[in-house]
Amino acid sequence: MLKKTVYVCCGTGCLASGSHAIYQALQAQVKTLGLAVEVVPQIKKTGCHGLCQKGPLVHIAPQDVTYIHVKLEDVEEIVEQTLLQDQVVERLLYVDRQQGKRVVSKHDWTFAQKQLKIALRNCGEISQDCIEDYIARDGYAALRQAVTAMTPAQIREEITCSGLRGRGGGGFATGNKWSLTAQAPGDIKYVICNGDEGDPGAFMDRSILEGDPHTVLEGMAICAFAIRAKRGFLYIRDEYSLAVENMKKAIADAESHGMLGQQILGSDFDFSVEVVRGGGAFVCGEETSLLHSIEGQTGEPSPKPPFPSDHGLWGQPTVINNVETWANIPVIIQRGAAWFSAIGSDGSKGTKVFSLVGKIANTGLVEVPMGITLREVIFEIGGGVPRRRKFKAVQTGGPSGGCLPEAKLDLQVDFDSLLAEGSMMGSGGMIVVDDRTCMVEFARYYLTFLSEESCGKCAPCREGIKAMLAILVDICQGRGREGDIQLLEELGKMVQANSLCGLGKTAPNPVLSNIHYFREEFEAHIHEKRCPAGVCKELTVLQIDPQLCTGCGACVKVCPVDAIAGEQRQPHVLDQGKCIKCNNCRDRCPVDAIVVG
Amino acid sequence: MNKDLQIQQEAEYIARHYAPERRFLLAILQDIQRHYKYLPEAAMEKVAEYLSVPVVKVYAMATFYKAFSLTPKGKYIIKVCDGTACHIAGSMDLLAEIKAILGLEPGETTADGLFSLETVACIGACGLAPVAVINEQYYGNLTPLTLRKILAGYQGGVAKNA
Amino acid sequence: MPGRCYRGRLKGGKVLEISINGKLYAAAAGEKILEVARRNKILIPTLCHSEALPGSASCRLCVVELHKEGEVQFVAACSHPVSEGMVVQTESQALSANRRRLLQLYQLMAPDSSRIKNLLAVYQGEPLTRLTADTDNKCILCGLCVRACDQLGTSAISTVFRGTHKKIDTAFAQPPVACIGCGACYNVCPVDAIAMEDQLGQRRIWQKSFELVRCASCGEYYTTREAQAFLQHKLGDQGVDLELCDCCKARRTAEKYRDGLHLLEIYNIPQG
Repeated sequence: MLKKTVYVCCGTGCLASGSHAIYQALQAQVKTLGLAVEVVPQIKKTGCHGLCQKGPLVHIAPQDVTYIHVKLEDVEEIVEQTLLQDQVVERLLYVDRQQGKRVVSKHDWTFAQKQLKIALRNCGEISQDCIEDYIARDGYAALRQAVTAMTPAQIREEITCSGLRGRGGGGFATGNKWSLTAQAPGDIKYVICNGDEGDPGAFMDRSILEGDPHTVLEGMAICAFAIRAKRGFLYIRDEYSLAVENMKKAIADAESHGMLGQQILGSDFDFSVEVVRGGGAFVCGEETSLLHSIEGQTGEPSPKPPFPSDHGLWGQPTVINNVETWANIPVIIQRGAAWFSAIGSDGSKGTKVFSLVGKIANTGLVEVPMGITLREVIFEIGGGVPRRRKFKAVQTGGPSGGCLPEAKLDLQVDFDSLLAEGSMMGSGGMIVVDDRTCMVEFARYYLTFLSEESCGKCAPCREGIKAMLAILVDICQGRGREGDIQLLEELGKMVQANSLCGLGKTAPNPVLSNIHYFREEFEAHIHEKRCPAGVCKELTVLQIDPQLCTGCGACVKVCPVDAIAGEQRQPHVLDQGKCIKCNNCRDRCPVDAIVVG
Repeated sequence: MNKDLQIQQEAEYIARHYAPERRFLLAILQDIQRHYKYLPEAAMEKVAEYLSVPVVKVYAMATFYKAFSLTPKGKYIIKVCDGTACHIAGSMDLLAEIKAILGLEPGETTADGLFSLETVACIGACGLAPVAVINEQYYGNLTPLTLRKILAGYQGGVAKNA
Repeated sequence: MPGRCYRGRLKGGKVLEISINGKLYAAAAGEKILEVARRNKILIPTLCHSEALPGSASCRLCVVELHKEGEVQFVAACSHPVSEGMVVQTESQALSANRRRLLQLYQLMAPDSSRIKNLLAVYQGEPLTRLTADTDNKCILCGLCVRACDQLGTSAISTVFRGTHKKIDTAFAQPPVACIGCGACYNVCPVDAIAMEDQLGQRRIWQKSFELVRCASCGEYYTTREAQAFLQHKLGDQGVDLELCDCCKARRTAEKYRDGLHLLEIYNIPQG
């Protein structure tokens, strides 16, 4: 009998849905039955409807069966049916709406079809804390090749030719960065991984750090060899406890296997890595702030030039790259620059991981060749906007990016195409919003986030965001004035031009792009004191249309303040005095009888 | 005075796990925060001494990073996720509910020391939006109503083992 | 300063040429745009810059345009290094508009500051009435006071908290043990935001009281006991005339030069 392996997703999201208990139950049952089955806990890769929307996820090989929304009570049936008898438990299969049927394997989900896993190649396929699993899938083969058969210059050349650009948002040519650092004067150099993923709604880096820690270590070691560095730091944001834990274990394992530490793989190359835990500051994702944080200072940025490649950690030449960038390095070395540069679009080679979240059917982590269109990602892979709602916009680039409306859905997703239209690809957050999202409030949300995360060192960012936020709050609460839009635009331009670092420079983007594409919404708020989406409470009045209301009473059940009353099958009435504009009733009404007045 | 002396001794013990280098300031403070659930002044002074760093710079670190608190946190720390997915799913309504029941704004602790409220920008459970975490216990798909019930459980001491 | 001779910091020495507002100027590798501009009497507004404490780059008022390959980049003149053939514009519509908006925000922070008011007038700006000014506040968070205190070696104050809560304060907002009452912070502040009061032989600053000491020559109060002791300790043998106030010290130095005493020192001839 072929050995079976059960993969249980244990990323932070699925853990939150109780997947660890499922893992333990599976292990226990398999043990008592004396089955020749290996139960492996790890992050789901594709299919990773990311977190939890379809989780907990369990995948079984070699039958290639994927179960979703698994509960503890299902474990017995899974063991009975699928492990002992090779039968499929139909009710636990994913219903693929696009194919109109249940699909047995995650590999056949529509969700998976246009994806290509490079950075996420191992996520969901290996145990989070097992170096042998990593090695079994070509792990550390690239490092061996680099250290034994290539020179530092050849390695840098390979990375340059691949066309790899930084995946953290900046998009700087990675090979260039390595070369500049290698050529900078000085004997002491450092390699750093920026794991301070801070964009709200983004969890690409987290998944790699948790689910495939060794790929990051291998990438860093290859770079260290290529620039002659001896020490590296992995800066992981404070909130990612599991990632910190898994990384520390991975480092220990790599050292005991000779992949890190002294005389790596029997050569005279030494490289050791230390984990540094962040203190809770989004601004520390900015590279100079990150350096200061590692040095034991507050995370305030420094002006550039000089750049870290010349003057970085403790003044020494330093390479800082993002988690996803590191995850690509071993594959490029192993398969070659030519292979890598054949993927993607002209200026954007390779793939990009996106966290696709918001008002979308298939929320999760996807990895696609760059050059794919927004439409393909959102409607084919993502399955479109659920529950009869209407697509309104897609936000990319996090707090540094912007929203793009329906008219721009055929844009290619890559470094340059989105930039030309007022947004940016950023680190990979892709948030879909529907007609229930107010674009003014959405801009306010991003500015609120940034105002709390601004380090406060420079006035344009600190005072500029404060001023823009005050105006947006006024607009959202019905105190908008004539001239506010122009003032927002002018303040925005100043903040973009004058801020010290990327946080400030890009802070106005969500506001300016929303004004650009959804100006009429801003104007409705200011001139008509009306919120078309029905979100801004002071500018929203909900009413039940007596012509449409069937009196089913569904809304009454979900109203948290008992503001709706009415007889069965008679048009109901909404008490304005009590209404808190939570929109529960609108969401629930089967005939869309509740309207924004 | 005695209490301060005790804190100083404990803080020194914690600090000595690291070499006296400036780069360990963040890690030492995090260990102290974990131990006391906040950063006592006496501890910060000891750390400043141990690392030969001006005490005002330690204070600057303590006030810059969100991981630290200058006042003790509550017994139950409520973290409401205000990541983008949770935000558009209604995290603001949850915050309003907490304000109504407990009188708390983010960053505050109730007078009886039972609850502290924080907002966090993305826990990473976007499919369960809106999400709140109370002392490592996740609650997803929340509404103001369901949240109210959950909090009542903590107030009544029902959730002792949560 | 008018008439100052060329004294660029020749780090590695190479002299090069840059263009500012269409004219060519000599510069030395390692210099910043601001230094070249100042030497040639070209106005670039600043708030957080000081000759003694350069390179903070936090006030962002000194931002100028760099023109390269048809693109315009905005950089801070005080921190951006010069390079051969660099093309700089210190004046433009965009720069004036941005300076106006930035100064308006500074004015909201420190509504009573004459410096801000006058700078705003230079760029033809009016106070921004759309937003509320912080009438109780004077500080513009340029950070000069903190850098002065750090430079001196006392580090009694720092920027604390972050974002809009950021402020200059002492450890735990308490009277600072490390403060020696030297008044460097008070002297370097461009907007008079630090309160220092000298009265009846006592100085009060940062909620701390100090005893003032008198100049050994003219008898006027001039510094605190702690500051005097600090400098004596820090400078050791190098500390000369520390018991004199600035005026008397300057006079004593001038007398030394007048009498040729410096020559005796240089040539190691004992004073007779």
